[in-house]
Amino acid sequence: MTTMLFDSEKIQSLRTQEPQHPWRRRTPKFTWSVALAVVIPALIAGYFLFATAIPDPIVIIIIYLPLQLLAAGVAAAVSKGKNGVADAFIYVLAIGGSIFSLVILISLIVTLFINGLKAVSVSFLTQNNFYISPSTSLEYGGVAHAVLGTLLIVFISMLVAIPVGIATAIYVTEVRGRAVPYVRFFVQAMSGVPSVVAGLFILTVLILTGAMGPSAFAGGLAYAILMLPTVARTAEEVLRLIPEDLRTGALALGSTRARTVLQVVLPAAKTGIVTAIVLGMARVVGETAPLVLVTGTSDATVYNPFNSPIAALPTYIFGNVAQPFPDAVTRAWGAALVLIIIVAILFVIARIIGRGKVK
Amino acid sequence: MSTAEFEKSIEGLEVELSDSRAGLPIEMDARDISVWFGKRKVLEGVSIPFPKKTVTALIGPSGCGKSTFIRTLNRLHELIPGAALAGEVLYEGKDIYSPDVDPTHIRLKIGMVFQKPNPFPSMTIRGNVLSGLKLSGMKRPNHDDIVEETLRAAGLWNEVKDRLNAAAGELSGGQQQRLVIARALAVQPHVLLMDEPCSALDPASTLKIEETIRELSKEITIIIVTHNMQQAVRVSDYTAFFLAAENEPGYVVEQGPTTDIFGNPRDQRTLDYVNGRFG
Ligand SMILES: Nc1ncnc2c1ncn2[C@@H]1O[C@H](COP(=O)(O)OP(=O)(O)OP(=O)(O)O)[C@@H](O)[C@H]1O
Ligand SMILES: [Mg+2]
Repeated sequence: MTTMLFDSEKIQSLRTQEPQHPWRRRTPKFTWSVALAVVIPALIAGYFLFATAIPDPIVIIIIYLPLQLLAAGVAAAVSKGKNGVADAFIYVLAIGGSIFSLVILISLIVTLFINGLKAVSVSFLTQNNFYISPSTSLEYGGVAHAVLGTLLIVFISMLVAIPVGIATAIYVTEVRGRAVPYVRFFVQAMSGVPSVVAGLFILTVLILTGAMGPSAFAGGLAYAILMLPTVARTAEEVLRLIPEDLRTGALALGSTRARTVLQVVLPAAKTGIVTAIVLGMARVVGETAPLVLVTGTSDATVYNPFNSPIAALPTYIFGNVAQPFPDAVTRAWGAALVLIIIVAILFVIARIIGRGKVK
Repeated sequence: MSTAEFEKSIEGLEVELSDSRAGLPIEMDARDISVWFGKRKVLEGVSIPFPKKTVTALIGPSGCGKSTFIRTLNRLHELIPGAALAGEVLYEGKDIYSPDVDPTHIRLKIGMVFQKPNPFPSMTIRGNVLSGLKLSGMKRPNHDDIVEETLRAAGLWNEVKDRLNAAAGELSGGQQQRLVIARALAVQPHVLLMDEPCSALDPASTLKIEETIRELSKEITIIIVTHNMQQAVRVSDYTAFFLAAENEPGYVVEQGPTTDIFGNPRDQRTLDYVNGRFG
C-alpha cells in the first residue's frame, strides 16, 4: 500500500508551482542534431559559394537545398525516430520558402530605400512639381500633389468598390439568390480584366463621350473596376468560412436574415473582410495604365476630384523614369518609396480597424 | 481557494490514495497537475491515478476544468496558445511531458473522443474509421474486419453496414459520435479519453456506448467526463469530483471508488453534488 503524505511541505510545494511549458523543453540530443543539421550544410554550401566558380543560385538550389533536406531528415531520424522525418522535411521546406520570399522582399525594399532616400526630404514630401523641370536639382519640388492625387483616386474607388464588392459577396453567400452562378461567373471574369482595359473602358464611356474630363473621379472609377472583383471574391471566401451553425443559431433566436448578416455573420468575418479591403487596395494602388488614360497628369496640386487632370504617384513615377536626367530618375525612386510607405500605412490602419474588440 | 479549503481538499486525498487503487497496477498517473491559460490558473494540484483496465469518471459542475484536465493527459493541452502546465503525467513509466517523449506516440496510444462529434466530412464512413491508421502510419491487416469490429463496438454497424461508402457528413449527430468512437478504437489505443461522449446521444445509443465502455475496459483504460450521474455509476470503477469556486482554479474535492463517492461520500459538497443539489 502506498500512502501519499500531504505534509505541510507538500502543500507549500503545490502552492508555489510555477506555470511551465514542458513541451518546449528539448533533449540535448535534439539540440545537437539540429545544430549540426544547420551548420554542416551551410559550411558545405559556403565552400561552394566562395571557393568555386559555380554560380550562386545553382549552389543554393542544387547543393544546399538537397543537403539541408537530407541533414534535417537525418537529424530527425536520430533524435525523434522515423515519425520525425516527414515533419523535418516540411519544416525545412516551409522555412526555406519563407526565407526565399523574405530575401526577395527585403532586397526589393533595400533597393527602394537606397535609391529612394536620395530624393526624399521635407520639400519632396510637401511641395508639388510646379516650376520644376526634369533637370531641376533635387532640392526643389516634390510629390505632395501626387500623394494627394493617389489618396483621392484610391478613396473614390473604395467608395464604389467596397460596398458593391461586399454586397456581391453577401448576395452569393447569404442571400443565395437564383443568379448566384451568373454573378460568380461575372466577378470571376472581371478579375481577369487587364488594368489597361479598365482604363480604356472609362475613357471610351465617360471621357470621349464628353461626360467628363480626365479627373480623379474617372481614375477612381477605373480603379474600382479592378478593385471590385478582388474585394468580392475575397469577401466571399471569408463569408463561406463562417460556420452554418452561426446563421441557424441567430435565425433560431428569431433574427431576420438581414440582422443575421449584419449583426452576426459580418462581425464574425470582420478581420477577413478587412483583409478583403486591404487586398483590393493593394491590387490597385500602383496601377499606372488606367491613370495614364483617364486622369492625365498635373504638376500643380489639385483639390477638385471632378474636373481637372490630376497627378498620382504611379503616373509621376512613369513620367520621371523615362527622363534622360539622373535627378528625375531619382525622383521616381523617391516617389516609389513614398508609395510603398503609403501602402504600409494603409495596411496598418486596416489591421487596427480589423482587430476591434468583442462587444 | 482559502488555505483552509485547500488543506481540506488535500486532507481528503491523503485518505483516498490509500483506497483500493493503491495496490493495483497503474496505467497512467497524473501528479500535481496545475494548468494555466495565460495568467489565469484554471486547475490546481490535481493528482489522480488511473489503474489499468478500469474506468474512471470525472464529474463536476460546468467550467471546473474537467475538459482541460483530460486534454493534459494526451498532450492536446499544449496546442492552445498561452497554455502552461505544472506537474507530471506518468505513462509507460515516464512523464509524458519529458522532452524525449514523442507527443505523436502519446496521442496514438491515448485516444480521445470529443464532446462534439468531429468526423472528417470529406471522407466516407469507412474512410473515417480507417483514417487513424492512415494518419499515424500504423499498419494493421484486414481493414474490412477492423471496420466491422469497431463499428459494432461503437453500436453503429447495423445502421451503416449498407452504406459504408457514404459521406460521414450525412450521418446524424449521434451517429457521427458513434463513428468517431469507432475511429478512435481502430488504432487500438491503450487509454481512451472520452469528454462527455454521450451528450449528443439518445438513451438507446447511450446505453449502447456504455456497454461498449464496459466491454472495452476489459482491454483498455478509460477516462470519461460525464454530467450524467447515473452514467458515472453505471460505467465507472472510480470517480473524481472536481470543483472550482468562482474565478478560482478547479481542484479535486474527493476521489475514490465510485461506490464510495456516490454511496458514502466524505465531503458534504460531494454529497450535495451527486444528489443533484447544486452545480
Ligand atoms: N482555450 C481556453 N482559453 C482560456 N480559458 C479556457 C480555455 N478553455 C477553457 N478555459 C477555461 O478553463 C476553465 C475550465 O474549462 P473546461 O472546459 O475545462 O471546463 P469543463 O469542466 O470541461 O466544463 P464543461 O462541463 O462545461 O465542459 C473555464 O473557466 C474556462 O473558461
Ligand atoms: Mg468540458
